[in-house]
Amino acid sequence: MTTGAPEPLLALTNVNTFYGQAQVHFDLSITVGRGHIVCLLGGNASGKSTTMKIILGLVKPRSGEVTFDGASLIGLTTPQIVRRGIASVPEARRLFADMSVRENILMGAFVRNDREAIARDLDKMLTLFPKLGQRLSQRAGSLSGGEQQMVAMARALMSRPRMIVMDEPTMGLSPLYVDRVLELIRTINQEGVSVFMVEQNASLALEIAHEAYVLQTGKIVLSGSARTLKDDPRVRDAYLGGSEAA
Amino acid sequence: MSSWLDYTINGLIVGNVYALVAVGLALIFGVSRLINFAQGSIYLVGAYIGWVAVVQLHTPLPLTIIFVAVVAALVGLIIERFGLRPLQNSVRIAPLLATIGISFVLDQLVMLTFSPNPRALPSQLPDVRFQVGGGTIGPLDLLIAGVGISSALLLFVFLRYSKLGWAVRAASQDRDAAMQMGVDVNRVNQAVFGIAAALGGVSGLLVGMYYNQIDTAMSLQATLKGVVAEVVGGAGNVPGAVVGSLLLGLVESYGVAVFGTSYRNLFAFLLLVVVLVLRPNGLFASARQAPPEPLTGTFIAPSRPVRIPRWALLVAVAVFAILPLLPVSFYVLQTLINAWLLGMLALSLTLVAGTIGQVSLGHAALLAIGAYTSALLSLTLSVPVGLAIIAGGLMSAALGTILISPSFRLRGHYVSIATLAIGEIVSLVILNWESVTRGPIGISGIPPLSLFGYDLIDPKSVYWFSFTVMVVLALLQARLLSSHLGRSFRAIRDDDIAARAYGLSLNRYKSLAFIFGGFAAGVSGGIAAHLYSYINHETFNTQQSILALTVVILGGLGNVVGAVVGAVALVGLPEVFRIAAEYRILIYGIVLLLLVRFRPQGLLGTI
Ligand SMILES: Nc1ncnc2c1ncn2[C@@H]1O[C@H](COP(=O)(O)OP(=O)(O)OP(=O)(O)O)[C@@H](O)[C@H]1O
Ligand SMILES: [Mg+2]
Repeated sequence: MTTGAPEPLLALTNVNTFYGQAQVHFDLSITVGRGHIVCLLGGNASGKSTTMKIILGLVKPRSGEVTFDGASLIGLTTPQIVRRGIASVPEARRLFADMSVRENILMGAFVRNDREAIARDLDKMLTLFPKLGQRLSQRAGSLSGGEQQMVAMARALMSRPRMIVMDEPTMGLSPLYVDRVLELIRTINQEGVSVFMVEQNASLALEIAHEAYVLQTGKIVLSGSARTLKDDPRVRDAYLGGSEAA
Repeated sequence: MSSWLDYTINGLIVGNVYALVAVGLALIFGVSRLINFAQGSIYLVGAYIGWVAVVQLHTPLPLTIIFVAVVAALVGLIIERFGLRPLQNSVRIAPLLATIGISFVLDQLVMLTFSPNPRALPSQLPDVRFQVGGGTIGPLDLLIAGVGISSALLLFVFLRYSKLGWAVRAASQDRDAAMQMGVDVNRVNQAVFGIAAALGGVSGLLVGMYYNQIDTAMSLQATLKGVVAEVVGGAGNVPGAVVGSLLLGLVESYGVAVFGTSYRNLFAFLLLVVVLVLRPNGLFASARQAPPEPLTGTFIAPSRPVRIPRWALLVAVAVFAILPLLPVSFYVLQTLINAWLLGMLALSLTLVAGTIGQVSLGHAALLAIGAYTSALLSLTLSVPVGLAIIAGGLMSAALGTILISPSFRLRGHYVSIATLAIGEIVSLVILNWESVTRGPIGISGIPPLSLFGYDLIDPKSVYWFSFTVMVVLALLQARLLSSHLGRSFRAIRDDDIAARAYGLSLNRYKSLAFIFGGFAAGVSGGIAAHLYSYINHETFNTQQSILALTVVILGGLGNVVGAVVGAVALVGLPEVFRIAAEYRILIYGIVLLLLVRFRPQGLLGTI
């Protein structure tokens, strides 16, 4: 088990997931402690994105339990789960391409009704992501990949979540942007938001994470504090070597 | 009414009316990637609600419009809640089929309530016309333009400034991402169906007033026109739908000016097919824009087909073969002859829609081609009837395949739209090509069935003839499907991209399926022509295409035995229960809805 806080914010317990006949998760158990950054590592098709979808209620597990802040999420719809305080930065960003940057960011506040506070939070996003200031009325689909990642993160923060789940936030970004994104994740976390992130780039993820899990074809094969995993030869051989070469 | 300005005004006004339908279709397509075939039925409901308001309740015009919008919106909400929401996790084509079933049910309910006879729908506006340049314009034209423009404005404000409007826009761009922002997609669907229905209903009201006539045939025409306008503008693109509608209105109006009224619809459908084939994303889509999400059209609910032992099939064939020797009534034979003819059509459709996954909504056109070919050959060239029927089958195979071939690259719902349009085009060509088809008069005095010089007039011989032909076609098809061809067909249906990667030539296999299917349907049409002795351009209509689709789904898509069982069930059961003719289409619609919802694999299972 991990070194998490006594009562975790998010817990997946013995989750089994199927797409039709094919099983994607085998007795998957993951916990995210309050205020922690937890990273899920794994190769292609190991079931990482599906884990995110289970948390968000986009895919239903066949068996197992998912709890957030002590209450079960099973049976809730995605919007209901979002209202509980989980925001997401989906795989490949998934911005609303034909809406403006401003509209995209404000869509993040869809579950809120406090207009003035929303306006204040929008300003706050522009200090956190200064580059977006000049782009507010531009079509989101016309932004560069790095800029889109910023919009997706700002959008997720706008709901004032207690936890953010991110699917490969550094994918396809230049090294400069990768550092920037990791820095921002740390900033967000320091403001009290727990983070659950899926990554293939293990060395980078382990820099900022508190704990990590390694997923292999649907099974957790390793878990522990980021520090110990970084030195674990199995992680080094399987992931760190590969991703540094890439 | 002769100046160009008049035709332009007329085109724009009619375009405005189409826009009210098309905008609703675009909203729904945007959010659910669904072509709502029930949109025309709501338009029909709107027209008749309007009639009730104007003629019976004597409401003033503004109240009439509001009343129609509210009732139509309610109908839309009911359709969304009970017809479509339960299908959310079904295969993609299921909601499309459900909207077809819903449209049958609504149309028939209107017909049963109000009778199919046309009614006048007075506009309640003074009958004056103002001179504008070289043309004239009346208060009703202004009303229609006003309703069109104010609806567009309202919609713009809704989408731009309301929270629900934002949710609609977000959901139409990325449904999953919108859900992750907390958008309740069910509410979005509700909103979109309500708005689409209100606009569609008002459109029906205005059209009824414009022509001062309403009848139940309006429904399908409205759906088709709306779909044309929407696809021309780019599926799911709301401003595009408005522009597409105005364009369609103008094209039709100028077309009528040059060629005459009976060509009006021909232009609409030709425009649709050309746009679908050349620019499937609509006229205004930028080149780099990704095509709308692939709408894989397969309707393959996982199922284990029921295996019927060979001996049971042989016994069944034997029983039906000796049936005329038993003391059965003329009426039973007549019913079964109809079932065998429908069975041949179903064999054809189950191959095309089931085995290779091209859900055709225009299959009756193949009947028409076979029927006209056979009738004309025997009548004008005195070709023996047996040969003429075979020629009809061949003609259907050839012509049907040629007509559909430009659409081979389309997928999913677009295949259904294209086949529907091609079906309409065939029927319109028959109507207009008078020198050959005798146009609206139709062909009468078609010689009866005959074989080797012997006329088959008594019901027993007609029964045996049609039964034998159907059994032979079924055997051929079963043979075809058990060969490697059958496997290739199914591979294309299940995953056309992978099939292509394996080196299968999609066009060649789709052609083969349409050639074989076209032949079976053409033969069925040919036999029907000699049986009826009179046919015209409406003998083989969209209703029959949909009926055939219901048969095929009932039996189990791709299932040869299922196609025949489905045909016997759908033709036979209403007879057994003595259901009055006017209720039958209603029953068929309900059967289709129930099947899609509860047993998409049909009675015998999909293969
Ligand atoms: N909607 C779906 N239907 C069927 N199978 C799916 C679906 N989504 C994912 N899968 C399959 O489930 C497995 C796990 O997919 P998942 O997307 O969770 O992997 P991943 O670890 O995120 O991979 P990647 O690193 O490539 O993003 C894969 O084999 C994938 O093909
Ligand atoms: Mg993934």
